[in-house]
Amino acid sequence: MSSKPKIGVYICHCGINIAKTVDVEELTRYAVKLPNVRVARDYSYMCSDPGQLMIREDIRKNGLNRVVVASCSPRMHELTFRKALVEAGLNPYYLEIANIREHCSWVHKDKQEATAKAKKLLQAAVAKVRFLEPLQEKEVDVEASALIIGGGIAGIQASLDIANAGFKVYLVEKTPSIGGRMSQLDKTFPTLDCSACILTPKMVDAASHPNITLLTYSQVESITGYVGNFQVKVRKKARYVDFSKCTGCGLCAEECRLADRVKSEFNMGIGNRSAIYLPFPQAVPAKYTVDPHSCLFLTRGKCGKSPKCVEACPAGAVDFEQKDEIVEFKTGTVIVATGFDVFDAARKPEYGYSDYDNVLTGLEMERLISSSGPTGGKLVLGKGDGEYVPKEIAFIKCVGSRDKSTGNEYCSRVCCMYTAKLAHLVKDKLPEANVRIYYMDVRAFGKGFEEFYDRVRREGVRYIRGNPSEIFKRNGKLVIMVEDTLTAKPLEDEVDMVVLAVGLEPRRDAREVIDLLRLSQSSDRFFLEAHPKLAPVDTATEGVYLAGCAQGPKDIPDTVAQAKGAASSALVLLSSGKVKVQAQISWVNEATCRGCGYCVEICPYTAIELVSVNKMGHEVNVARVNEALCKGCGACAAGCLSGSVQQKSFMDSQILPQIAALGGKS
Amino acid sequence: MPDLEKLRALAKETISRDDIKCLIGWRPGTYGYRTSPHFVRSPEDADQLIFSPLCSSNLATYLTLAEKRPVPRGAQPDTRKVAILVKGCDSRAVVQQVAEQGIKREAVYVIGCPCEGIIDLRKLEDKYPHTLERVEARWENGKISLDLPGGRAVFPREEIVAGKCLTCRYPNPVIADVTVGEDVEVRGSAGFEDINWLEVKNAQERWAFWRDKVNSCLRCYSCRNVCPMCYCEECILEKQNPAWIQRSVNISENTAFQLARAFHLAGRCIECGECERVCPVEIPLTHLNRKLVKEVSEQFAFTPGVDPEAKPLLVGYRPNDKEDFIL
Repeated sequence: MSSKPKIGVYICHCGINIAKTVDVEELTRYAVKLPNVRVARDYSYMCSDPGQLMIREDIRKNGLNRVVVASCSPRMHELTFRKALVEAGLNPYYLEIANIREHCSWVHKDKQEATAKAKKLLQAAVAKVRFLEPLQEKEVDVEASALIIGGGIAGIQASLDIANAGFKVYLVEKTPSIGGRMSQLDKTFPTLDCSACILTPKMVDAASHPNITLLTYSQVESITGYVGNFQVKVRKKARYVDFSKCTGCGLCAEECRLADRVKSEFNMGIGNRSAIYLPFPQAVPAKYTVDPHSCLFLTRGKCGKSPKCVEACPAGAVDFEQKDEIVEFKTGTVIVATGFDVFDAARKPEYGYSDYDNVLTGLEMERLISSSGPTGGKLVLGKGDGEYVPKEIAFIKCVGSRDKSTGNEYCSRVCCMYTAKLAHLVKDKLPEANVRIYYMDVRAFGKGFEEFYDRVRREGVRYIRGNPSEIFKRNGKLVIMVEDTLTAKPLEDEVDMVVLAVGLEPRRDAREVIDLLRLSQSSDRFFLEAHPKLAPVDTATEGVYLAGCAQGPKDIPDTVAQAKGAASSALVLLSSGKVKVQAQISWVNEATCRGCGYCVEICPYTAIELVSVNKMGHEVNVARVNEALCKGCGACAAGCLSGSVQQKSFMDSQILPQIAALGGKS
Repeated sequence: MPDLEKLRALAKETISRDDIKCLIGWRPGTYGYRTSPHFVRSPEDADQLIFSPLCSSNLATYLTLAEKRPVPRGAQPDTRKVAILVKGCDSRAVVQQVAEQGIKREAVYVIGCPCEGIIDLRKLEDKYPHTLERVEARWENGKISLDLPGGRAVFPREEIVAGKCLTCRYPNPVIADVTVGEDVEVRGSAGFEDINWLEVKNAQERWAFWRDKVNSCLRCYSCRNVCPMCYCEECILEKQNPAWIQRSVNISENTAFQLARAFHLAGRCIECGECERVCPVEIPLTHLNRKLVKEVSEQFAFTPGVDPEAKPLLVGYRPNDKEDFIL
């Protein structure tokens, strides 16, 4: 705008939040004297209707063309005041906020000093606002589909919700079947529902839903683009089984030369499977997969005269010629539901997990005790003649949780209750068994949790407060060294079996997902949400949401709730069909850009590329910003050595006067 | 020590090639110890080429300085290669320019000249001041000999070479399309003992040291102009709108100028020492740059200007990068 700046300054009391520490009347008197300021007013709540009205009327009556609001953080009310400017017919980007609450009144006590600082902040905002330029917001269309990464309960639930709302869903799962960790569980706390019984209907629904494309045994290779327009590449790994022919009869697995000789991942290595396998009986899709790491034909190129599975299959579905396939599609939004890994108990060597067969993890115990597990639900240890029923059983909680020595400071949130549940199931199967639980604290915070904990104690499970220091073997028994911290007595507890309540950790391959979507991690290494309270399913990348344990440890109800939340956020985007892109984005001065490409590498959103331009007859590279991709983070502008990249509303020519004002005398 | 006849023959052959428009080398200067950059455009020009311990200038600077004149309509820009003679340190400048896309690798033809150290003219002038006759110098069995007006003089290398050559880890060019002469022994260590004396001082003492040095800065921009890594189309240090640094010559602006330059060289400085060599008021800029080289090396295990394929430090992110400097 060429006309002279006419600035209005609006100073908010924020009740007493600001007015208690900053002399707002004095600040208003000071503001009027600043250059180009036409009017300065203070009011108890500037964000309220009368406050905004004051601004709108001044714009109309006094012909203001710039507005400074001295109030709270722009994160709170920048949008509110921008709207007020628009309503008065002014470009919304002619607004500058001076944060005199978080940056001033809340962090100072002395009123005189705080007022002096508020003056500085206000002076700086006035200095900057004069140089602001009008910006236009653009809109882009949203592709009406969603990509869900991870086919556990979170991914399944989110897929179903979005598909039921009428949008297309691509559900990508790394393993041969959807179902995730929940399918491995026996019963669920505190209601003791059979985990598989409540999960499998949802798995089947997801597989048969007309709006859901299931991509199992597949991994996302790359995601490019931006909110509303992501281009996704998925690698469908070769199953070596023709999907359309396989009926899931299982004859191949029975005939496989390695039948019952390959450790089953689903059963946490307790049971075995064949090299061609269905991970578990209720797997969806019920199609067999050849494990390329164990199959004799694939690892050695030879399996007897010919592979037995090929001979056994009545449908002729086994196909060793099959190759990986790349599937490409566009989606408007992405939900990351990649789940968790359990803590590797070998990292606590004092508990002897690597040394003793009768030290198990919680998840192994789930498989051992499950009626669909390798023992058919019989709680027995040892094999063949060495088989025995344990009588003295101990659980140890917080293994790999709340433990700085393992790097996991956080509480895994589910171990207290799954321990109680497993203890209950043990008592149910072996009423004579003596079950004790070594614990630090019992956290039974959810609906029905405390009642369940109480019930388990009444069933005769003993809770002993103490963190065992060591487990070793003596006379064929496991000995737990521990101090009962309630009686301050050291104990040596002889048991037949120890179950380690291992905690939840981020997926070991989480880095790949981070690189795909440029996600951030919180200090616990789980994916970081945009705001811990107000945006718990959003990420810093617009259009990308989080669900389930990928974001942090949680139980099934919380996971489902979060999945529904993520689905709802995705649906807001999908159903509106349009998305506004940032206006305060980067801009390249092509005349001075020397094409070094620093900004291209620095940009976390791949929003900048080098393009060849003709500068007076010479083909040279310069950087160019994709306006739809740019989020206005300003990293490129900070990285540019020659100052050729500038971020709109934060240009050097705008922030230098601001900095200069902060440095000068008030 | 390369055979000058061989060097000139190679230069003649090179400049005769159709795909090479110019060869940048050194020739004797107008008087005394001086040498000049030499732009060979025809085979005859090559007869003046030299390479000796007096060839101090880093010619890589000229690669990016070449003016891109407007191409007349209908004409094609001259995209032939530029051939360039490089010492070890100079070659790192070429590598770094390639790494940050200042020049294209295929646009240069690099002639490597292994180097046993360049004479520090200040040290020489202390011994033999006001020499007007042209002087020749050569490396001989680890020593440096000079044909001075009063006769031949031989110095141990350590006595007369520049400080940067004493710590040099790359006396042999790190890239070269062709090399003149035999590779030489690497004498420098990877340590940073040379700046230790300054690092052990406390903040006040260091500031006193630098304040004194920076205070004498004339803001002649020689350090910036000679630096092979300073080739932005418009230098931020000279920008007037907005002006990050005022033109006034005073301690505040001088300090801002030198600090901005040092920071802009972090992870990019290839330690050719040209800034310090050309400084008319002898500000020990190498100390500033070496400190940043040390930080970059220790924090990120990164050495600029050795791998043309490597991403520049400031744009490369590794998850295990140290973060302890973040408050």
